[in-house]
Amino acid sequence: MLTKSLTRLRGQLAQTDRQLWLWPALTTICMIIVWEAFVRIYQVTPVVLPAPSAILRVFVDRYELLLTNLWPTFYQIVLGFALSVVGGVAVAIALTYSKVFERSAYPMIVVAQIVPKVAVAPLLVLWFGMGDLSRLALAFLVAFFPMVVNTAAGLAAIDSDTLRMARSYMGSRTKIFTKIRLPNALPHIFAGMKISITLAVIGVIVAEFVASQQGIGYLIIWSNGLLDTPMMFAAIILLSVVGLVLYGLIAAFEKLIVYWQT
Amino acid sequence: MSSATASLRLEEPIAGITTSSHAGGSSVTAKNVKKIYDSGLQAISNADFHVSAGEFVSLLGPSGCGKSTLLMMVAGLLQATEGHLSIGSEAIDGPRKDISVVFQSPVLLPWRTVLENLRLPLEMLNLPTEGFEDRAQHLLNITKLAPFADALPSELSGGMKQRVAICRALVHNPSILLMDEPFSALDAMTRDEMALELLNIWDKEKKTVLFVTHGIREAVFLSDRVLVMARRPGRIIQDIKIDLPRPRTLEMQETDEFNAYVGILRRSINASHEV
Repeated sequence: MLTKSLTRLRGQLAQTDRQLWLWPALTTICMIIVWEAFVRIYQVTPVVLPAPSAILRVFVDRYELLLTNLWPTFYQIVLGFALSVVGGVAVAIALTYSKVFERSAYPMIVVAQIVPKVAVAPLLVLWFGMGDLSRLALAFLVAFFPMVVNTAAGLAAIDSDTLRMARSYMGSRTKIFTKIRLPNALPHIFAGMKISITLAVIGVIVAEFVASQQGIGYLIIWSNGLLDTPMMFAAIILLSVVGLVLYGLIAAFEKLIVYWQT
Repeated sequence: MSSATASLRLEEPIAGITTSSHAGGSSVTAKNVKKIYDSGLQAISNADFHVSAGEFVSLLGPSGCGKSTLLMMVAGLLQATEGHLSIGSEAIDGPRKDISVVFQSPVLLPWRTVLENLRLPLEMLNLPTEGFEDRAQHLLNITKLAPFADALPSELSGGMKQRVAICRALVHNPSILLMDEPFSALDAMTRDEMALELLNIWDKEKKTVLFVTHGIREAVFLSDRVLVMARRPGRIIQDIKIDLPRPRTLEMQETDEFNAYVGILRRSINASHEV
């Protein structure tokens, strides 16, 4: 099945490759050229808007600073996201299978989802200190809820005839869960993961804004203080690329796992 | 204990897969069956019937007459409020290995290939999978689905999906097949084709079939007997034997004999409406 979905994926890519990449790439290149020209013609000061070439120079000359700050941010994002997926799926399963848990915890989860998690960041620093833990906590917190909501929706999105069919073959709860409900929820789980990964990035960066001595978020705040705008741009671009790559990985993984959906 | 049940018991260990010489299915009996939902709605006021082993019987009635409810009770998926339902001499107290249900929609698992979908009952029922490939291949051959064994459901037409669902219901060789308006979602031409195919399978596999439908012609074409149901409250009002020769052909539907049966059933259903 895996090889089959791989060949299918390859076929799809070959077909849409050109249309998919050509036009956005051209647009981006045009925009960069216009940007560069604008800065040069109007002699805009780099503190306000650095030219793309100036930003590129930061990437070339100061890549070490960027990379050393990238790593802590990157692994906090991945770890926070992974925790939110595991925790979110587990809580969603508990919500689906335990009426008591659903009645007691669901209202709380809904309320907690409304609280703007970013506003809680200083409180997390107070609780978990200046270290990794507070950043991880915020990343987890923001990424967790979409996972719960999406997974719970996915587990519930099974038609009654499918369940009756499984019951007519005397399927046990465990078997119905592993062989029917969980695979059936996979498209929803992936939809949740795609939201969560972008939120995990936000969570880590905000926590780094609040309290940190390292990381891309810290680098942005630090270069802001020094009016080193090219460095800020470089950091933001790097962060966007990281977010894009992580999102792309999940999307690719989704195509592989949820091969039956077109 | 009737002989039908005894023979079934004997065959159970191998009934999982083998195309055994399972001579006939088991009989189904309903005695004074009532179903009242928690809401107080009376779905079935009184159902009494007997389906002999190997017989093809249709439950025919307008929508809302409780025919599906009755079928689900035979399947052990719903409990009767009152009365007694049994297979052979065993009371029905839940889903059973020797009963399979075909639902209105094919309910295939979209992530599984046709062959993997056919394996599902064995996995759910904890039956051994040795011999499964042969049994599945045999069923796919009968239903002309052999080239699609490795296809995903999304690659199949509606009629093909329902044929897979029928194969899935037969893969562990149950003796009773319960069908809940299995062709109602298909177009008319496919429906005729499916009816012929079902009779072909029934002829080869010798199952007891209880077939729920609201199609009068479909009921006449397929059945040995038709149980006519009326609604509000749901009940069986007539039991009509269809004395048409087997094997049935589509041309038979043009004969006066066939249409006479259709007329009898239609009048019976209409009469129940007027009351």
